[in-house]
Amino acid sequence: MTTIQTAVPKPHRRYSSIAAKKKTFWLTTMALPGAVWLLLIRYLPMFGIVIAFKNYRAFRPNTFWNNIIQSEWVGLKNFEFLKSPDTGIMIRNTLGYNILWIILGLVISVAFAIMMSELTSRFLAKTYQTLMFFPYFLSWVVASYFVLAFLDPTSGMIPFFQKAAGLKATNFYHDTTWWPLILTICNLWKNLGYSSVLYLAAITGIDTTQYEAAAVDGATKWQQIWHVTLPGIRPMIVILLIMNVGKIFNADFGLFYNVPQNSGSLYPVTQVVDTYVYRAYANTHNMGMSSAAGFLQSFVGMICIIGANALVRKIDAESSLF
Amino acid sequence: MKKVLSLILTLALILSVLSFAAADDLPTITIMFHGSNVTDDKAVLEKVNEYIADKVGAKLEVIWGTWGDFDEKSVKVLEGADKDVDIVFTSSWSDDEYNSFAKKGYFLKLDDLFAQYGADLIAALPEDLMKAATIEGAEGKGVYAVNGFKDTATQNTWDINVTLLNELGYTVDDVKEKGFFGWGEIFAKAKEVKGDSFYPFLVEPVVAERMVTNSIIVSGDGNANLLSLYLNPDDVSAEGPYGNKLLNKFATPEYKAFVEKMHEYYEAGYIDPALSVGETSNDCRANHQKDASYLIGTQVYAFGYEYSPDVLSRGVEVQFLPCTEPYMDSTVSQGAMMAINSASEHPEEAFKFLVLLNTDPVLMTLMNYGVEGIHYTLDEDGLVVFTDERANYSPWTNGVGNVTLLPDTKDEGKGFRESFKAYYSTGKVIPSNGFFFDPEKVETEMAQLANVNAQYALALDCGATDPETELPAFLEALDGAGMQAYLDEANAQMDAFMAK
Amino acid sequence: MTTINPSARKKIKAGSFSLNRFGPGAQAAFHIILALFSLLCIIPFIFVVIISFSSEESIRQVGFSFTPVSWSVEAFTYTFRLGNALWRSYFNSFLITIVGTILSVAITILYAYPLFRKDFRFRGFFNFLSFFTMIFGGGLVPTFVICKSVLGLSDNYAALIVPMLFSPFNVIIMRTFLQTAVPTELIEAATIDGSGEYNTLVRIVLPIVKPGIATVALLVALSYWNEWFLSLLYLNKNMDIMPLQYLLMRMQRNADFLAKNSSMLGADAAKAVAQLPSQSLKMALVVFIVIPIACAYPFFQRYVVAGLTIGSVKG
Repeated sequence: MTTIQTAVPKPHRRYSSIAAKKKTFWLTTMALPGAVWLLLIRYLPMFGIVIAFKNYRAFRPNTFWNNIIQSEWVGLKNFEFLKSPDTGIMIRNTLGYNILWIILGLVISVAFAIMMSELTSRFLAKTYQTLMFFPYFLSWVVASYFVLAFLDPTSGMIPFFQKAAGLKATNFYHDTTWWPLILTICNLWKNLGYSSVLYLAAITGIDTTQYEAAAVDGATKWQQIWHVTLPGIRPMIVILLIMNVGKIFNADFGLFYNVPQNSGSLYPVTQVVDTYVYRAYANTHNMGMSSAAGFLQSFVGMICIIGANALVRKIDAESSLF
Repeated sequence: MKKVLSLILTLALILSVLSFAAADDLPTITIMFHGSNVTDDKAVLEKVNEYIADKVGAKLEVIWGTWGDFDEKSVKVLEGADKDVDIVFTSSWSDDEYNSFAKKGYFLKLDDLFAQYGADLIAALPEDLMKAATIEGAEGKGVYAVNGFKDTATQNTWDINVTLLNELGYTVDDVKEKGFFGWGEIFAKAKEVKGDSFYPFLVEPVVAERMVTNSIIVSGDGNANLLSLYLNPDDVSAEGPYGNKLLNKFATPEYKAFVEKMHEYYEAGYIDPALSVGETSNDCRANHQKDASYLIGTQVYAFGYEYSPDVLSRGVEVQFLPCTEPYMDSTVSQGAMMAINSASEHPEEAFKFLVLLNTDPVLMTLMNYGVEGIHYTLDEDGLVVFTDERANYSPWTNGVGNVTLLPDTKDEGKGFRESFKAYYSTGKVIPSNGFFFDPEKVETEMAQLANVNAQYALALDCGATDPETELPAFLEALDGAGMQAYLDEANAQMDAFMAK
Repeated sequence: MTTINPSARKKIKAGSFSLNRFGPGAQAAFHIILALFSLLCIIPFIFVVIISFSSEESIRQVGFSFTPVSWSVEAFTYTFRLGNALWRSYFNSFLITIVGTILSVAITILYAYPLFRKDFRFRGFFNFLSFFTMIFGGGLVPTFVICKSVLGLSDNYAALIVPMLFSPFNVIIMRTFLQTAVPTELIEAATIDGSGEYNTLVRIVLPIVKPGIATVALLVALSYWNEWFLSLLYLNKNMDIMPLQYLLMRMQRNADFLAKNSSMLGADAAKAVAQLPSQSLKMALVVFIVIPIACAYPFFQRYVVAGLTIGSVKG
């Protein structure tokens, strides 16, 4: 295919500069609606970032703009919530769960996508895919009822069977032992369908001639997966990985708040940045502090993304994000 | 393709323009209520606008916020300086907390308006309520919200299932005599009679703590309630055992005794474990109450509650046994207020409306009960009987304003408002009434303490965890999060307040 | 040229290559794993359906259970009694989701395509413009202020559609699909043939990335369908345009609020709790919310799986 490119005679220089301008113009018009949206809805409010460094309050005349200008600069005071003795636990939980889930999620959803693409039964492949998407429709609140049906100390199924077997029923909502596992299962349960569909669609996009070529060369199915499928979806894997790494300091609030039913005794394994800030904010209503927390999450995310992207660039410049 | 594109853009534009309504000559004031269940307000607003056009010189529009809007909506409106909302609900316990939001400048100082238009209102409200609304705000000392006249005193009660109690061979007097620390025997009996899956003690854990130790909420302490001020149970207007000193709630011997007993009850199976977990606690309590599947519970009482449908529908005889006499503190005296957004463009009209709403029975009844003939009818005694239409129009009564202006309803019976006023006029004022803790200087500590508190307090209060090990761990964690600094700041403020 | 012409490509794919595939053992293993996981995914939904048919009394007595003590259709009759409010919010959900998805997918493709073109001069700029907002944002209140007072997004459908029209995440996903599926040579060839940029995009690129479009459309549709927070922020007086999800979330949030503040609200809270809709009603609403989007799913899936079936011949 590369031969086609060289076979085409180079166009005249003058012609090409007009064509290039035309091309740039038309491509720019394509990006314009999105760009306008970004400027209005994302960039215009960005002045709000300064709230993280200010003691925001209302002045006269009370307009948002005036309030931001007149509010006093307080430096890094809004970030002081990080000085808490809980900080270590909360950072450990946030990063720990995220890293574990990024790895598990990647491996399992790629495996699922490959399995589904290899099924001979179209009908079943479709059915699995549809069913796997169901958790995505249910909010964490609803999911928490489901977990409760198993774990409820009075009527839950597991304590019920424990009692029936003559064992002491575990009071799950005051016992941290099982929660890292429960949270991991819940997270995978909810997100696998979503990410495996992304990978599946990426697999679908792979040029079939590559499989044919591999088959002609005598590659087994496993070898085809290794040498064709995985390289084919590498851009998708890398992109999703980089983006997940960018959210490494953010946590899925509902999972950590609703699913454990906001049980205090479980904080050592369920407290994450988002829940901590939520509980702190509910008490102080300090807008600066929540802005600061958001800023911090963005900042850590940015560093991680830049780092991950640089790493990817070194290995495979094609797949990198920017 | 370009056509499609321009079509899309035009469509987006049209959609966004659709919102601008035609202008009217009278200015529009917008009030944001909470806790309402209103799906059709047309008939009411038509009448209201007719009624207030001359008296206020404005048209009214209402944002019918629901309970779930409390936390987000008004705070976003105020923080975003949204000039389209003129009046918002505020109180000592909502997220747009009266003292801190007044201090941050979100509410308009009303003193000048009171002087100009507020004479009727001052006459209509008890003096204590006006005093409670007077605080140190962004524009100096003054009144930053109109205080609603609702239940103006707090009384915590034990909610007793008398039918079951008698069945077990006890009387309310026995319960009273034995007291919290001596109920083990009654609970054991209940468990024996009703079976193992019956939980006789239905507590709201944080309330039970206050009831047993006679401590009260300190305003400004946040949802976490880290501070305790102890009442004198025999005479709430006198000083308690520690005077007016604020204490670390969890470090007192009273608290230790309480959680130890609770743990004993919990271990004996007298308390439903679901009560000890944040998100399941309230559902569990509501369900047991509905079923009357409890023996003794806790209830923050409001006058007339025993006649309300949700108590009557339990199908058993219920009695509310008070812990102390009704008392008036800063929390309850700022229980439901209406403030004017300082970004409002029509503060005068907004204030005039609030005055009318809180002094004029016609307007108050209209806003609260709806239109006569549509939402309610009057029976031969002049009592209000609601129609089915009421389901589409039920605001949160206490959140609207002066409830003493309302006519009695058939459920409440004739003379209800009179006895209501009489009951609350007996409410005694605690010595430190009017004190508000301003945590601004210790906000960092407060943020940390709130998380520590959320980790330990509920489970301990409910008896689910062993105070032997958990209480010391809790106290240590509090110390690590700056409890002493928090406490010192609070006491410094209290001393300064009492010295005045 | 011929090898990369889409129609020619299809012919080759459809040709009967008999390539080696996984044996029956591996196939069976795949089926077992996927079936088990699918089961795990559908059981909670069945659970929701069971709760929606459980009687209130049963929920009070044994909590949420797969085997309620007694059954009831009360929740559904109540839901139907919501009448207009229910159907109107249903209609709103559909309207918002359909209009939002169409607009959003169009904008996403239009933005992603130039980013995919390595020969686009402002590629770096537009890439950064979008990417930066994925990490940094002005925060909730400033965004709210801009949307409401500058853009007039308040109490109208636009307020529920515009704030979610564009997502940098979807742009990157779309760009990645383009990268994996569309060979650069194809574009170059089309340009040399004199095809305009829009023409190339619509006639040559879009048919190739159908699976990608379907996937992005699915993600967008889902997020519109599940959205409720925009309603909370931007709907004040015009509750007629409220989507179904917000109807449900309001009930949920009411219950949460009363739980959190019951000790402050005292008897008020107790009275309000008594008026709250029952759990089974909430679950009935969940059923109402899940079913349409679950039914719409195969529609999106057709494109993803259409690609797959061609692929399956190869395997």
